Amino acid sequence: MSALKIGAFYNPHLGRELAEARGIDHLAMADPPRADDPWWPKIKARYTLLLHDYLGQLSEPLDERSIQRARSLAELYRTPWVAEHFQCLHTEDGAYSLNYVFPPLYTEEFLARFVANANALKGRLDQPLVMENIPGFFDVRHSQMAEPLWLRRFFEATQVGFLLDVPHVWLEAHYRGLKPETWLAEFPLDRVIELHVAGVRNDPDLQGPWIAPAEPAEEMLEFAAHAVTRCPGARAVTFDAFSPSLTAEVLLRSVERIRAALA
Amino acid sequence: MTDRALHDLVIRALADAPFRRSAEWRQRALADPERVERFARFLARHFYFERIVHFFKYSTALARLTGRRPDAVLGQPAFDALHPSLILGSQDSARAVAGLVVAHVRSGAPSPPIPYHDDLLHYEEAMMVVEAGPRVWRETGNPKGLPAGRGKRETRAAPQTVEGTELLDLAYDLPAVLPKLLQPFTTVPDAPVRPVRLIVARSRHGRVAVAKATDAIVSIMDLADGRKTLDDLARDAGLRPAELQATLQGLTELGAVRFSTGS
Repeated sequence: MSALKIGAFYNPHLGRELAEARGIDHLAMADPPRADDPWWPKIKARYTLLLHDYLGQLSEPLDERSIQRARSLAELYRTPWVAEHFQCLHTEDGAYSLNYVFPPLYTEEFLARFVANANALKGRLDQPLVMENIPGFFDVRHSQMAEPLWLRRFFEATQVGFLLDVPHVWLEAHYRGLKPETWLAEFPLDRVIELHVAGVRNDPDLQGPWIAPAEPAEEMLEFAAHAVTRCPGARAVTFDAFSPSLTAEVLLRSVERIRAALA
Repeated sequence: MTDRALHDLVIRALADAPFRRSAEWRQRALADPERVERFARFLARHFYFERIVHFFKYSTALARLTGRRPDAVLGQPAFDALHPSLILGSQDSARAVAGLVVAHVRSGAPSPPIPYHDDLLHYEEAMMVVEAGPRVWRETGNPKGLPAGRGKRETRAAPQTVEGTELLDLAYDLPAVLPKLLQPFTTVPDAPVRPVRLIVARSRHGRVAVAKATDAIVSIMDLADGRKTLDDLARDAGLRPAELQATLQGLTELGAVRFSTGS
């Protein structure tokens, strides 16, 4: 992918529409294709596919099973890069899991863990590794540095790519009372390979906005356009919505609007 | 305490409502308690939404007849009332939430009546409850399965029924009708009136599996206490060694039995 490509996530319930859609350059794969998915052969033949499957948490080394899974999916998709999240969502003993992306503590110890395990994973993959930022809804007082600095040091130590999730930055700025552009400027944007853009919606539990399978608002599109101008190495922008409740209309219109906003 | 251990406390606080109220957590003052509570509630609703959608998918397919969508309970006061006691991933919490779903769906009056509706709800509830519990997220050693080798050492291995495994007695042969419920239908598919006994078990990695339970399976489930050897089991269950071995193989793969090896 030489010019900036605009794509979406593969949502199997929208297989027919995606197999026939125009204006979508690539599809990110959050789950492996189901054996009974009638649209998968067409999707695979037609699109550049990005591996965005859930692999694990790099606070611990990935086990051989996860690495082999990543390798086989990467080969199946012929993905240009492999994405993983900056997350730590289950306890080390497996007793508790949040079943939802959750950032690590931004400390030296966690930095050393993520660097070592990302380097080990990178060495086992045939494609570049990219890592996606995960928003925190609250700060943990034990953290030793701000997220952007922690990420910058991680990327310096690993030389892997950055998957910049734009709404995640926007949400953190919102909950910190900062201008999104100001908060964004702190991140190591020179490492960005791919960007995610999505909609946000008010959540009654959080009593504020959070990621939702919705169209991005104009404000989010403008922020995404601003972010792209700060990411000289960006190669792809993906509409980040993966949900059974997502409609083809929302997906197709969102991709179209992202393309127009970045033109 | 390491940062990793401290992060485990944060994960536990988000997953475990009684722990959030404990002095052990509150005295640490690691994060804004109001923010933590809001995020925990968000996570709980997300956690059980995913499980209800997955395990009650047959009831969801029948919702146009029952007038009751299983996931609607997440928006009801009864679910909010559970929040102070919820522990994500525990069997008690899974049972409580699944119980709400069953009561809600059962309160509908399917038109026309679905003869096997009670069996179906019982089945779906069992699936959701069995899925709960700690799990292995990454392999760190050689998992114990069937004992390797033959001879005296093998007969000294002591199988044990895995806690949480359930036997279900149903009046209708549900496995015969379940796939049809996920296909388009105009009249509700029939289930044969034929008593079946099913075993529902979970692997160490959290995969739930169902199989028809034979008499040999039921005997072994009753007898496998982690102390009886294979010789004891064969004698007490009245099984030939080959039959015992085959049954144990199936139960181990299902996740219903694990081995502890004697000295």
